[in-house]
Amino acid sequence: MGGLVQQQDFDAQAPWLSALRNAGLQAFEKQGFPTARTEAWKYTKPRALNVDDYVLSVAGGKTEKEEIPFDCYSFYFNNGVFDGNVPELPDGVEVMSLAQAAQTDFAQDYLGQAADVADKPFAALNQYYLSSGVCVHILPFVQLDKPLLFINHTLAGETNLLMNLRNLIVVENGAQAELVEYFHYTGTVKSRYLTNIVNEVFLAPDSVLKHYKVQAEAFKAGHIALTAVNAEKNAFYKSLTLQTGADIARNETHVKLLSEQAGAEVDAAYQMNGWATIDTTTDIEHLAPCTHSEQLVKGVVGGEAKGVFQGKIHIAPHAVKTEGRQLHKALLLSDKAEVDAKPELEIFADDVKCSHGAASGELDEEQLFYMQSRGIGRETAKQILIDAYLEELIAKVEDENIRKWIKLKIKTDNL
Amino acid sequence: MATPLLEIENLHAGVCDKEIIKGFNLTINEGEVHAIMGPNGAGKSTLSNVLCGKAGYEVTAGSVRFKGKDLLRMSPEERAREGVFLCMQYPVEIPGVPTTAFLKHSVNAVRKHHNLLELDTMEFIKMVREEGKKLGIDGEMIKRPLNVGFSGGEKKRLETLQMSILKPALSILDEADSGLDIDALKVVAEGVNGLRDGQRSMLVITHYQRLLNYVVPDFVHVYADGRIVKSGTKELALELEEKGYAEFVREK
Repeated sequence: MGGLVQQQDFDAQAPWLSALRNAGLQAFEKQGFPTARTEAWKYTKPRALNVDDYVLSVAGGKTEKEEIPFDCYSFYFNNGVFDGNVPELPDGVEVMSLAQAAQTDFAQDYLGQAADVADKPFAALNQYYLSSGVCVHILPFVQLDKPLLFINHTLAGETNLLMNLRNLIVVENGAQAELVEYFHYTGTVKSRYLTNIVNEVFLAPDSVLKHYKVQAEAFKAGHIALTAVNAEKNAFYKSLTLQTGADIARNETHVKLLSEQAGAEVDAAYQMNGWATIDTTTDIEHLAPCTHSEQLVKGVVGGEAKGVFQGKIHIAPHAVKTEGRQLHKALLLSDKAEVDAKPELEIFADDVKCSHGAASGELDEEQLFYMQSRGIGRETAKQILIDAYLEELIAKVEDENIRKWIKLKIKTDNL
Repeated sequence: MATPLLEIENLHAGVCDKEIIKGFNLTINEGEVHAIMGPNGAGKSTLSNVLCGKAGYEVTAGSVRFKGKDLLRMSPEERAREGVFLCMQYPVEIPGVPTTAFLKHSVNAVRKHHNLLELDTMEFIKMVREEGKKLGIDGEMIKRPLNVGFSGGEKKRLETLQMSILKPALSILDEADSGLDIDALKVVAEGVNGLRDGQRSMLVITHYQRLLNYVVPDFVHVYADGRIVKSGTKELALELEEKGYAEFVREK
């Protein structure tokens, strides 16, 4: 990656920020660009991401409005740059751009505190650039009435864009909010682009964040995302990610359950074909007694594509009475489709309940024939079975309008 | 003069190089009900599967014409849309697919094929309720995932419901009475008889004569070792019930 020497876009250069950036650079240089020999990148080969002439995206492109069928507070990011427009928000919710926030003590307290970059080269790179993003602060006991929606739009074109987005979400005591992230593109893809995003989430005691994400990047794109969550006592982080785009994508979720009764539900669905690799990586650290986590990941893989699941549950020695569950299932639609699942349980405490499972299978010919024998076309029948397969996950989205929208984003034309 | 609906001529078919149907001939005219009776292993299920286009069966000789068209060249869904319906012995369970959603896909796929407007949800629900009532199917049952956890009787009633709403020109009933108690059998038979209008035809494939007490056939054929060895009227079924298939199996 030749672009490393280029300078960042915003001016704020408080000493703490420079130190943070330097730490990011050092961490990246120490690790280097991951290779096939890097354990964490054994299944998801990052080679195609290593393009020489990435251009840092600094100026945002045109805002692309897309009809969103649910009520929300929308924030637009164009070519990886926040457009600066903050919608009118209710009392108790503060949002500012990363550039503005970087001049405050608030950002200093949180930035870089949840995302550990020592073994994550892309997050390290992101920390060096810290190009753009927003900081969200939900004040104590505020129940946000509508979800925050981050619309990330890339206008694909001639240049190899590199986008380093960093968002900070702080939910204070007893507050509740929903966040929806949407990644999409328009234009003709003549080059590669790479979205390299890090979200840091801080959940104060008794707070809740529900986080939904749809990743529908261009086929010739990389999407590397890390969401790092620190959850305090009795806080709850719930997420559901649907990935259907990019040819190399990793959605990584790292949750630290720091105090008693903290919990997380991290679910994901993926669907692709061609020769894409879509990766779901999770790391749930149970660092206190009576914490709980649950993960359900389901994938539909066609063509010569590959689904990867790396799921880690770590239970610290004193984290007794903890529950951690994990399940990965995949539907393979062709002979050349592949799934690699690597569950990892690190249990250092007694008196815990922990489980993991993995299964993969194909579409059932008897079920297909049954539907065909009732006049339903084979392709429609396949789609019905695939929808039914993912329905278990989509049903977990409580808000009906968001659920319907996510359902629409399940691709119907690529099988 | 009778119009032929289904014409099977010298059909040979099998699985994995093993010939199971060995020179089968049968013509079913509009409005006729034919019963095919045969011992276990005669190839009864192979016949219904070949007629409906299930993958894995190879037709090596002969022809099947439906409304004058070459049935064997059609995909399973095309056959269904043209009006061939297979009432299955063991309907499959499909978790995650609500029965109503499945029925709506099916009805509209067939309607679309015949250049009819697709039914909207209200029209569809109304029709399913009316037809379901006759078969003792309540709204709760069709909200459940397709066939999942249904009893044997419920599955057969749902097959019959599909037959009543799709109104196929030819219904093939494959061992429709298996696993049914006498009450469920009567309900299913009533549903089937409700479709007999002098236009629609049926092919009832069964091992036992029992079902034929309720769905009375115009013709009965004995099927053994891959072909029809004797044909007659409904009295033949009673004869078979009494004497068994021994005579025909020996003929081999």
